[in-house]
Amino acid sequence: MTDVVFDVQQVTYRYTADVTALNGVSLTIPRGRRVAIMGANGSGKSTLLRILDGLYFPTSGQALAFGEVLSEEHFQDDTFAFAFRRRVALVFQNPDVQLFNPTVFDEVAFGPLQMRWPKDEIRRKVADMLDLMQITHLKDRSPHRLSGGEKKRVALASVLILDPEVLLMDEPTAALDPRSQSQVVDFLVGWGGGAKTVITTTHDLDIVEEIADDAFIFQGGLIVAEGTPAVLLRDEDLLRRTNLIHSHRHAHADGQLHAHPHRHVGHDHE
Amino acid sequence: MTMGEIRRAAPTRRRRKSFVERTIIGLAEAMEQSLYAEELAHTDGLLQKIDPRVKVVGMLALLVAAALSHTIGVILGLFAGALLLARLSQVPLRTLVGRIWVPVLLFTGVLALPAIFTTPGQPIAHLPLLGWAITAQGVSGATYLITRVETAATFSLLLILCTPWTHVLKALRVLQVPVVGVVILGMTYRYIFLMLQIARDMFESRQSRMVGRLTGPDQRRLAGASVGVLLSKSFTLSNDIYMAMQSRGFRGEVYTLDEFVMRRSDWLALAGFALVAGAAVIVDFRF
Amino acid sequence: MHIPDGYLSPSTCAALYAASAPFWYVAFRKITRLLSTRLVPLLSVFAAFSFVIMMFNLPLPGGTTGHAVGMAVSTIVLGPWGSILAISVALLIQALFFGDGGITAFGANCFNMAIVGSLVAYVAYRMIAGRAAISSPRRVVAAAVAGYLAINVAALLTAIEFGIQPMLFHDVSGAPLYAPYPLNIAIPAMMLGHVTIAGLAELVVSGGVVAYLQRSEPGLLKITAPGAVGEGDAEVVQRGGWRVARPLLILVAVMMILSPLGLVAAGTAWGEWSPEDFGNAQARQEIQAGSGNVAPPAAVPPGLAQVAGVWNAVLPDYDPFQSGDVNIQRIGYVISALVGGGLILLSFLLIGWVAGRMGRG
Repeated sequence: MTDVVFDVQQVTYRYTADVTALNGVSLTIPRGRRVAIMGANGSGKSTLLRILDGLYFPTSGQALAFGEVLSEEHFQDDTFAFAFRRRVALVFQNPDVQLFNPTVFDEVAFGPLQMRWPKDEIRRKVADMLDLMQITHLKDRSPHRLSGGEKKRVALASVLILDPEVLLMDEPTAALDPRSQSQVVDFLVGWGGGAKTVITTTHDLDIVEEIADDAFIFQGGLIVAEGTPAVLLRDEDLLRRTNLIHSHRHAHADGQLHAHPHRHVGHDHE
Repeated sequence: MTMGEIRRAAPTRRRRKSFVERTIIGLAEAMEQSLYAEELAHTDGLLQKIDPRVKVVGMLALLVAAALSHTIGVILGLFAGALLLARLSQVPLRTLVGRIWVPVLLFTGVLALPAIFTTPGQPIAHLPLLGWAITAQGVSGATYLITRVETAATFSLLLILCTPWTHVLKALRVLQVPVVGVVILGMTYRYIFLMLQIARDMFESRQSRMVGRLTGPDQRRLAGASVGVLLSKSFTLSNDIYMAMQSRGFRGEVYTLDEFVMRRSDWLALAGFALVAGAAVIVDFRF
Repeated sequence: MHIPDGYLSPSTCAALYAASAPFWYVAFRKITRLLSTRLVPLLSVFAAFSFVIMMFNLPLPGGTTGHAVGMAVSTIVLGPWGSILAISVALLIQALFFGDGGITAFGANCFNMAIVGSLVAYVAYRMIAGRAAISSPRRVVAAAVAGYLAINVAALLTAIEFGIQPMLFHDVSGAPLYAPYPLNIAIPAMMLGHVTIAGLAELVVSGGVVAYLQRSEPGLLKITAPGAVGEGDAEVVQRGGWRVARPLLILVAVMMILSPLGLVAAGTAWGEWSPEDFGNAQARQEIQAGSGNVAPPAAVPPGLAQVAGVWNAVLPDYDPFQSGDVNIQRIGYVISALVGGGLILLSFLLIGWVAGRMGRG
């Protein structure tokens, strides 16, 4: 068993001939680490997550998971595909994309049904998971009848039911109210007791220290910095250069314009 | 020119509204209606207790019986049956009147009215002044149409109101609709609400930015662009949903959990539906 | 346009379900092959899209508003087969959960709007757009005409389905059991609204959407624009366009002729009419037709009656075979209506073609 979960080597990804999302990215993610990937919108961090989840495939370079290459051909193989899908889970930024089933119950049961678990086992595990995430009362609700925080919990339940080893989270706190944000952060801090690998993309700098041991900063499809969150977050110049903070200009009572570095907390840049 | 359209168009008569406002009202009403149906589906009534598969098959049988009938008495009998079912299922009369009876009368009634003059047959009365002949066949024809449409619409509304839509979906499996069809229907229904929301937000933000009234051509350009924006959002959405499905192990084939269990009361209900529908057809042939 | 339950006889509904089935089957096969595993999400989202645009209240010239079905829009973006499925799913959801359009009439509604509507839109769009560049104004005209034509052909079919009801289905006294108006009233009454308001709604939304997509998402227009100028070998495609369009056009024509004939046959089989009564009603109708009006004391507005009168003049007595036999008369009646419908269709196609010529310059 290797201790490296993901090994990304010189990966480039182009949407079209002129739109390059990743431009030669290399990184290694060891088992059991909690990693934050920071960057402004369009820095390529969401694209990287989709490559790590085997949804996009590199235009050049290669990405390995558990020592195996993530390629379109490899995913044709059912055995590999099912094993991978079970071990790696992605929570999308937009819960409306992730919650495509008619009810919360169906949503949580979707993954196990695709894995063709026995139906009785599915019913039992779904019930347990709904309890664990405290969403049993929402069981028969349609996703469009849920609040933002509830949607996030359902989305988490729907991937955690497969008991993945690796959790990929795309902007988990975006567009959530403060209470739901802290619930998500608490969950990420507590989940797996250190045995699981968690990769989170975010531009919410306030949560990074809590949810990550290592951090990368992306800009323009490249890694521009890596280190511990504590070190990176102290480098105000770096953060300003990568658009993670920006000088915020506003008029004061005396009519003078005043600029100071400004963090965007609790709201979305989109 | 459907009942729904008439419902949606109704409030606009009072005061001239821009097409944006009217569309927002229509979208909001569609969302409210389904919310109401979901609430009613969870109350404790007769129809609510019956297995959805039995309900779908049973209501369909009653619908077909109403469609087959050659006798106004039989249609009225089925209508009375529908009323009784509504009563036992705690569907308020107000809902039936507001959502079915009045709109149907407004649309089908008005449409059927000239038929009492144009249908050839036995004259039974003449309009004063104009001297137009009302024929017996014309009156029967209009009565057939109105009672039949009212009865059929009442049955289908009862089905919709007393069954959570997810159950109606799964019940379609007994009508041999393939699993993939059921899954597509479910997903469509789910994303209708997201698209309604997107469309509504889009229109509302447009409206807040609009100063004064738009000219006709500008309005049309706006309408075309709105549909276009929605269309390109649909593409992105469907791609992302596809990835979310793949990520959780979707390989093209879909599996669902069917949880319905037929109890004795369900078999009884099925027999009841069959009895009523069968009786209607037999009585109809006798007369 | 959405036919509710109760307007069509069960046998008409069954016949139209049967007519729709092969199209659904072929569309499903073709789309599954094309999209493979993407089928489910793509179709679902586009059916939802179709549903939502049917709710848009569109501003029309003259200050009114109307609803569109979006047949041309979905056909242009998804191709005819994808459009058939997406609109069918949207119609099913409308019928099942929102009470718009009947459940027994679902097959009829799909046949008129989803199937024939999409195919007509496709043929018209391909014919008029030719191999014009994706950004050409000709494509906007083509889309607008395609939408206008599609909704009008769908309305015509609906009118024919309504119009054959009193002929085939009445009780012992001769009272119509379902839709009460014969073809000579149903067709003009239905077409009046669709040639104007509903047709315009479809025209506005189809043209407008293509104009918008040309500016911001030209990629979405590519499916139904093979070989548009600047997209590859033009000559091959010009032939290709016709190769695809012609069989579809023939298919639509054949279906138009077959489906009402099928209904006549079904009516006979079901035995829901008796020849004596029919002869009676028919005789009365002939007297009325002879006197130059629908029914002497008609409640239809004068303008409408006039249209109906013109109709009578074009197709005298509804009996092209000049035969006294009731059955032949009945068939002749249907054929007359179809010829009339075909003439309308043809003149629309001609207008579209001329507009396309002008749009090219």
